[in-house]
Amino acid sequence: MSELRPIFNALMRGKTGALLLIMQVAVTLAIVSNAAFIINDRLTYLHQETGLQDQNLFRFNLYTFGKQVDIRQQQEVDETLLRNIPGVADAVVINQVPLSGSGDSTSFNLKPSPQQSQSERAAFFMADEHLLNTLGVKLEEGRNFTAADVVYSQYYDKNAAVALVTRQFIDGLFPAGDGLGQTMYLGDIPLKIIGIVAPMKGPWLKDEKPDNVVLIPQVEGVAFKRVLVRTEAGRRDEVMQQVASVLLASESERVVSNIKGVDELLATYNSQDKLMSNMLLVLICVLLLVTALGISGLALFNVGRRTRQIGTRRALGAKKSDILRYFLLENSLVSISGMILGSILALAMSDVLMRHYSLPRLDNWFILYSLCGIYLMGMLAVYWPALRAAQIAPSIATRNV
Amino acid sequence: MLNMTNISKVYRSEMVQTHALRDFNLQVNEGEFIAVTGPSGSGKTTFLNIAGMLETYTGGTYELDGINVGKLTDNGRAELRNQKIGFIFQGFNLIPDLNLYENVEVPLRYRGIKTAERKRRIERCLEQVGLGARAKHVPAQLSGGQQQRVAIARALAGEPRFLLADEPTGNLDSLMARQVMELLESINKDGATIIMVTHDPELARRAQRNIQVVDGQICDFKLYQGGAEQQRATAGA
Ligand SMILES: Nc1ncnc2c1ncn2[C@@H]1O[C@H](COP(=O)(O)OP(=O)(O)OP(=O)(O)O)[C@@H](O)[C@H]1O
Ligand SMILES: [Mg+2]
Repeated sequence: MSELRPIFNALMRGKTGALLLIMQVAVTLAIVSNAAFIINDRLTYLHQETGLQDQNLFRFNLYTFGKQVDIRQQQEVDETLLRNIPGVADAVVINQVPLSGSGDSTSFNLKPSPQQSQSERAAFFMADEHLLNTLGVKLEEGRNFTAADVVYSQYYDKNAAVALVTRQFIDGLFPAGDGLGQTMYLGDIPLKIIGIVAPMKGPWLKDEKPDNVVLIPQVEGVAFKRVLVRTEAGRRDEVMQQVASVLLASESERVVSNIKGVDELLATYNSQDKLMSNMLLVLICVLLLVTALGISGLALFNVGRRTRQIGTRRALGAKKSDILRYFLLENSLVSISGMILGSILALAMSDVLMRHYSLPRLDNWFILYSLCGIYLMGMLAVYWPALRAAQIAPSIATRNV
Repeated sequence: MLNMTNISKVYRSEMVQTHALRDFNLQVNEGEFIAVTGPSGSGKTTFLNIAGMLETYTGGTYELDGINVGKLTDNGRAELRNQKIGFIFQGFNLIPDLNLYENVEVPLRYRGIKTAERKRRIERCLEQVGLGARAKHVPAQLSGGQQQRVAIARALAGEPRFLLADEPTGNLDSLMARQVMELLESINKDGATIIMVTHDPELARRAQRNIQVVDGQICDFKLYQGGAEQQRATAGA
């Protein structure tokens, strides 16, 4: 430790720009740790488990313009046709598409309206008894829909009486954990909870409660339909190319459009987050590079400025390793001072971000990781100038007065 | 204790070879005070650098206290320099960012001397050169003569057997030069061997022995007992 004292004193007395560099290291640490934390937060979000096989799922729109077409009957024909295409695992007409970023949610209550009661919001998917299998989600408790549960409605003139739910949802509505078998209300419509399904996400990952999902066995007879298809792994492209011709061959007075993989929809939905992560990553790299250059630059400048003093030190008995160590220690002092300052700055910055951008509190580990990273980088940056300093000949001390 | 036989030094740059020293032979005994004179570019600094192991030589053999210097590694030379040799430079070469205390401390740290012993030596040496009260000053706050005295204190702190001085008074006015010279003489009386390069014949005359270097060789040396006649004889030669 005592070896540091004269180095520290020299730093303080010298007009070495050390203070500027300390600030630079501090700012770098503050920004890098916060940016790394945000990136990690986004990556965790982007790579979260959705419970759905988005790469095997695709969707399309089906709009019937033929006035003579019996929509209800044609739908059954269509579903059978789709399910028979080789490579298709299952298919349903559905009211909204999971992970697509668009859809509906509603509140489910313990008592029929207008009575006030405990209520829980959820995204709701409506389709026939193939819904769970098409989503590829497992039933965990209770029973699945049967054909008998399915209600075909026209402008909601009839309503289904049962529902499947996710555990997150049911535990929200029934905190005691006794929800299975109980009845909840959509407005004044009673829905008996007959089963609990494995965790799956609704249409919006960024929803406050993305895991709240309710499945209802009901199909609305409308001219504009969304269709969700799950294929066997690796066969989706092949199936996607066929759907239009298969359906139009059966009934031509309609339009098949917007055939898209669910992973594609998800990617579009998440593109902002990806972009932000990438930009933050670039920011981190640039900052680290600039700081490394700053450290190298100041060290090189100091080597040049101190050529004579280094020669003198060599003449007075310093070994090459002593000179090397001097520069490494000096850089350590600058780095560590910058890091102490930077840690405080990082916390302050996190506080501001938390308040204005609803981000979670900075995890202290990220300060520590960034700290280690910057310290190592600083040491690497100073090593080459320090080696050059060590090569200065002792005879410089007596030459070129 | 210092023994050079047929030392030569050649500087090679792309085009030119400079024979800075050739067939340089010299023996220095313990306790001597030697003044080295000679025209500019004759090889005085080169000789001093080789004697102090700041530079390697091209040919010949050099023994210091029985150690063959040519066989040492860079680290070995640094260690030997640190232990046996004190340097005094024309430009003082104090480290501007360190105060006087820290400046004198530099060679002691490289030798790994403990804090208490360092403190004792630094205080004693600064006292010896008359700057004990100014330990906390930085070099820029001192006059040239004072700076050179600090440099001497720094050289002395390691208790070297050898003091090598390259024009120690070259940057000083005559009054300060005389003070520095008196300091060197008293150090010599205390037992240190001193080799001093100087352009000042008056100072050279005060040394026990004078060496003249011309064209990289010793051309003439004479023992001075401070006699004015001999001084004139040399000057006229
Ligand atoms: N690093 C070097 N490269 C090439 N030539 C050198 C180098 N150092 C010294 N010389 C040459 O060696 C010769 C001796 O130089 P040296 O410095 O020893 O002379 P000097 O007697 O000390 O001169 P001065 O009285 O001016 O200090 C000169 O011709 C000089 O140009
Ligand atoms: Mg010279």
